[in-house]
Amino acid sequence: MATRRLVTGLLLGAATVLAGAWIPGAGAAESIRIGFHAPLTGFAAGDGKSARLGAELAVEQINAAGGVLGKPLELVTYDDQAKPDQAVPVANKLLGEGIHAAISGSYSGATRAAAAVFQQAKVPYVSAYAIHPDITRTGDYVFRTASMGEVQGRGGAKLIGEILGRKKVVLITLDNDFGQSLARGFKEKAGDFGIEILGEYTYSIKQRQFGSIVASVRRDAPEAIYASGYFFTAGPLVSQLRAGGVRATIVGQEGYDSQNFIDIAKAAAEGVLITTALDRDSDRPEVRTFVEAFEKKAGFPADMVAASTYTAVQVLAHAIERAGGTDGAAVREALAGTRDFPTAIGPITFNALGEIYKPVQVQVVKDGRFRRYAVIDDPVLLAPPAE
Amino acid sequence: MDAYLTSLATFVAINVTLALGLNLITGFCGQVSLGHAAFFGAGAYAAALVTTGGFPFAHGVVAAILAAGLLGLVVGLASLRVREDFLAITTMGAGFLFLGFVRKQDWLGGEFGIPGIQPPFAPRGMAVLAILSAVLVWLAGVAVRRSWMGRIFMAIARDEEAASSIGIDTARFKLAAFLLGTMSAGLAGAVYAHVVQLIVPDAFGFVQSITILAMVVVGGIGSNLGAVLGAVLLTLLPEMFRFVDSYKLLVYGGLLVLVMHLSPDGLVGIGRRLLRTVRR
Amino acid sequence: MFYFELLIAGLVQGAMYAMMALGLTLIYGLLRILHIAHAAVFTLGGYVGVLAANSGLPLAVAAALAVLVAAAAGPLVYGTVYRPLLDKPPYVALIASIGLLIAMEDGFRLLFGPYGLSFAENPWFVTGPDLGGIFLSWVQIALGLAALAAVAGLGLFAVGSRTGVAWRATVDDPEMARSFGVSPERVRLLAFALASALAGLAGFLVGLLNNLIEPGMGNITSYKGLAIVVLGGLGNVPGTLWASLLLGVAESFGSVYLDRILDRDAIAFFILVAVLMWRPQGLARGR
Repeated sequence: MATRRLVTGLLLGAATVLAGAWIPGAGAAESIRIGFHAPLTGFAAGDGKSARLGAELAVEQINAAGGVLGKPLELVTYDDQAKPDQAVPVANKLLGEGIHAAISGSYSGATRAAAAVFQQAKVPYVSAYAIHPDITRTGDYVFRTASMGEVQGRGGAKLIGEILGRKKVVLITLDNDFGQSLARGFKEKAGDFGIEILGEYTYSIKQRQFGSIVASVRRDAPEAIYASGYFFTAGPLVSQLRAGGVRATIVGQEGYDSQNFIDIAKAAAEGVLITTALDRDSDRPEVRTFVEAFEKKAGFPADMVAASTYTAVQVLAHAIERAGGTDGAAVREALAGTRDFPTAIGPITFNALGEIYKPVQVQVVKDGRFRRYAVIDDPVLLAPPAE
Repeated sequence: MDAYLTSLATFVAINVTLALGLNLITGFCGQVSLGHAAFFGAGAYAAALVTTGGFPFAHGVVAAILAAGLLGLVVGLASLRVREDFLAITTMGAGFLFLGFVRKQDWLGGEFGIPGIQPPFAPRGMAVLAILSAVLVWLAGVAVRRSWMGRIFMAIARDEEAASSIGIDTARFKLAAFLLGTMSAGLAGAVYAHVVQLIVPDAFGFVQSITILAMVVVGGIGSNLGAVLGAVLLTLLPEMFRFVDSYKLLVYGGLLVLVMHLSPDGLVGIGRRLLRTVRR
Repeated sequence: MFYFELLIAGLVQGAMYAMMALGLTLIYGLLRILHIAHAAVFTLGGYVGVLAANSGLPLAVAAALAVLVAAAAGPLVYGTVYRPLLDKPPYVALIASIGLLIAMEDGFRLLFGPYGLSFAENPWFVTGPDLGGIFLSWVQIALGLAALAAVAGLGLFAVGSRTGVAWRATVDDPEMARSFGVSPERVRLLAFALASALAGLAGFLVGLLNNLIEPGMGNITSYKGLAIVVLGGLGNVPGTLWASLLLGVAESFGSVYLDRILDRDAIAFFILVAVLMWRPQGLARGR
């Protein structure tokens, strides 16, 4: 019995020592280290890859232009598999490696868990595209460069009800925090734009076959469909809707925002509209630099996730520049004071909660690519919460 | 560095608690359960609801243990009806059912889960709490093992028909094993919820269940020490392979296969064989 | 009309489940192994098929390649992973199977990227014959026919051919079968080959159906397949088909009407648990 306890103790001790040994020491004193976590493996690995590429591109461009305060930026990247119980140790590991600030390239659950860790350690943390409302409520060190789901949903209501003038709508909602917050925002404002919601159908993230939803939509015969999802669900969904003879206008969101969506749905994707953050047809230099450089680096067209992490890095770098150093409190102040900073996803200004107001870009699939369709600039409708 | 070790230690301890509990069910009593994460989840949700409702943490722990135990009783009763072959699939089904129900309930947070769970202690304190829970369950496991109950469990695990033919009410004992195992999962759930501060349904799915089973089997099924070793190893493995982050799962999966081939009775089996050769 | 469409959607889904479950029941009936890694063979078929088709090969050739590669992979998995573990308790093979699935899934991701692959040319998943108002794509029809053919083929095989009878004998009583000159080993290899061929074909067809092949595409179907094996009765080919179709239809209707209560994937397990509580031996007759 005693021997067993001893062996267990020794093993635990060995593991701890090993743990200490394999953590690399803090990087060269001359670089500014930014922690970065994303789902590099697991079900969300697609978004993780885009996120990483976007962040890396920003770091490369910033360093090519001389770095921040004369020092190069260094991205310290770890995989969290989009899981909260991986994100917490990863956050702590990053802290232990002497990072000065951190960016989340991951989903909401993981981001929220890591946010608690960074807030407690008073390390500035920027969520690139996770949209759970509670993330910024964690504390004043947490910021978000994406629009919350509810805000985008409201934008969708305006798009369908007012800009497109379609009043009879069916909702198809992805059953997770992303889809549900979009639906929430949409339903909140639907009435204001004269929209009648004929029905709402939900589906799980693992689903690729939507026969029952297609049948329900055919029965309801709407003028437009507001469907949330990611490219791997939206692609099959949209193709099956069109194949089933549904001609209604389909409006999606940034989850569709990837060339993969078009590759899957092919002809069915034509004419699909999405509300998103990236305007590929923008002639603003900061957008063009991103779009063109990304396609060159990655070998495929830019998507929203990449644009968001790219932006998050830029915003953070800009704040460190203005803070004149890497002191946590100073960087936080600088972040909070970001005003109209031009980025690939629009000018960034943080409010008291760390949220941004951003016009919503509406893109349409035309000839197999996303093109600009409209911009919804409505500070009242799209106002994020301030506390 | 310190914070990292603290959080690692916390998760290791939570997984050890889970593995020890599953070992009671699967190892001691021979019932292969593929749904253990559901009890973990039941405990986490119960504790989270209680503490976010304003009640003290201790109440949350009690609620967690009760909830997990109750669910364990239900599943245990259900699995009694089913033949051995089907037990694994039934427990898998129970796990999916639990999760499928939870993610649709708004009062349980639905897909958003339950956020804003306040930890009762600072991270170091939570680590201590997790370790204490693991020790508690370990002691319980050892006590059971040594008791008359433990002997009966082993008899049932070895040959259920024989055991019942000598008059043992195998049903009652299997239920008892289920109860003990699931209650400890509930305890682990309460601790977990207060460490990550946000619980979402996805954390308690089938993949989590098989991970816990893998810990038990890799460590050496039926052995408490094995459960501990397996949990420690499999929790630390992804961390150890951070330098090959992209290949992590490939290596992890490959290792599972390898260990099963090299030592089906787990790490403890390797240890025993080593000791025997040393002693000679 | 609406109900009819729900029914059709359910039957197509059921056909998909049947292809997986038939293979699983072959293997489980023979070896009592929960071959969770079956999902990886399914996915393998999908990847082989899409890569072949995208490199210019005609669709039928791509399909054949998918089936052949899968059929070869199955016995390989048996030989390297399961055979050494046959005399060990069942949970050992289970963990090995899980490890294999995790490794293969990540392997697919590393080899073919995390975004998944789509067919460059795929008119069949959105076009279909004119059936007067009902829409059924060519791929859906193919899936239904493939499942029926598989069932018919397996059924005939089990009853009509020597090896088929040998298989049934081995399931019932390996020792007795051996004494009659049946080689259990050959039966097992054949079972794995057949089961994996079915899975590979299913993976290919489903890949066409969704126009998307992803590393984890086989997982949930495989888990449900295990539930169907229990429902349908071990080694019971027609029973497995009925259970698969029943499940597909139940999911189709259930996801519309039980929307607020239960997750779609949980419907399968709800049925499983409910049926087992009523009839612990599954839906099979006798045994």
